[in-house]
Amino acid sequence: MGSIAAILRKDLTLEVRGAGSTISLVVFSILVLTVLVIAFGPSPSSAETAAGTLWVALIFSGALGASRAIAAEREDGAIYALLLSPVDTGAIFAAKFAAAFIFIGVAEAAALVLVALFFGLDFSTTLLRLGAILLLGAFGFAAIGTLLAAISTRTRIGDLLLPLLVIPTFVPALIGGVKATVAVLSRAPLADVAVWLRIIIAFDILYAVAGYLLFDYVVGE
Amino acid sequence: MNQRIANSLGLGTLALIVTSLWMVFLYVPTEADSGIVQRIFYFHVPCAWITFAAFGLAALSGAFYLWLGQQLWDDLGYAAAEIGMVFCTLVLATGSIWAKPIWGTWWTWDSRLTSTFILWLLYGGYLVLRNLADDTPQVARFAAVFGLAAVIDVPVIIISVRLWRTIHPAVLLTRSGEHGLQDPRMIATLLVSGLAFAVMFAWLLLLRFALLRTHSRVFAMRRELALLRLSSSRIAV
Repeated sequence: MGSIAAILRKDLTLEVRGAGSTISLVVFSILVLTVLVIAFGPSPSSAETAAGTLWVALIFSGALGASRAIAAEREDGAIYALLLSPVDTGAIFAAKFAAAFIFIGVAEAAALVLVALFFGLDFSTTLLRLGAILLLGAFGFAAIGTLLAAISTRTRIGDLLLPLLVIPTFVPALIGGVKATVAVLSRAPLADVAVWLRIIIAFDILYAVAGYLLFDYVVGE
Repeated sequence: MNQRIANSLGLGTLALIVTSLWMVFLYVPTEADSGIVQRIFYFHVPCAWITFAAFGLAALSGAFYLWLGQQLWDDLGYAAAEIGMVFCTLVLATGSIWAKPIWGTWWTWDSRLTSTFILWLLYGGYLVLRNLADDTPQVARFAAVFGLAAVIDVPVIIISVRLWRTIHPAVLLTRSGEHGLQDPRMIATLLVSGLAFAVMFAWLLLLRFALLRTHSRVFAMRRELALLRLSSSRIAV
């Protein structure tokens, strides 16, 4: 637990001192939102459009954000120092996963506020519910993204490969997420939301565990 | 030895495919509801079986590779995933051809179609990974890990997509527990086609596997040679 916190602290310090991943991700998801609003027309109103916009922003910022914390280690071969240190690879996974989750979560929070403004959602508990659903999505994306980023950053075209692997894997959580978001936005009863939340949560647990167990095989030599 | 097995599997495939073509076009009665186009079902369903068998085998070989670390398992997984991709494409294509006259559209986001399509995307990613990471020594482990990550996704995909929407006909097992093949000749045709595709799968798998084995052996020999050269040049210095 201590080593997880130490690695995470290092990554966050690096981030605060100017690595700029989070800023880039926030700007990127704002751009994705702008593109979608232009594509759908300036006054989109349906719950489906708002939900779709949020999740497209999550997918795009996730596909970029999931590999940041791992890519930073690969750059100067710092990963070898990390692997040589007496730290369990599972702990490295947990820390990188937490960092990716924070990066994507911040970008998603920004996207949510903007969607609320653009789509005229009222700032109420609805927004909190949406935030919770998006965070669950970001959690799953960060888990599978961190595992696969350990693979993709080793290949020649890592940044291109990662979305090819992560997005199809993420589909069940995406379906659950979009459906849950639509249900919340159209004020459906809680039971309708719960069905979809269960899928996202199952996905989250599955890939957090799988990532923890399989990370060792892909990160080292 | 391998060559002889491969040849007999090839001949078996030829004989069985010809038989099943005869059964599909001449022997089996036309299905009353959907008419002549229903006959594609006898190729569509075996292709789907082979797809699942192949992708299952790929994931299983990946697990064995991670466990035992023998190159053999990696080669088997690679061969299975490639062939699975071919059959998955065939499932989507034959399904599309059937859907046009019956549903009036080439494609619809039905649950089984969507699941199969996502499976296709997943293993497409797997093959891209294999191709792009070919020069990385860890490619076998990467592929095995992604294969496992993909296969544990399959039940979640199926459940989520089924909740999402479904209109696919339940031919083999309906909700009430009966199957939609009334005529025994239909069942016979399906079984013969299934067998034909299974033998074809075994044949293709063996050929591809043998080729990949040779490839791996040549690769290992080359590395050994390079190491030998290196050490002899050191002695010379």
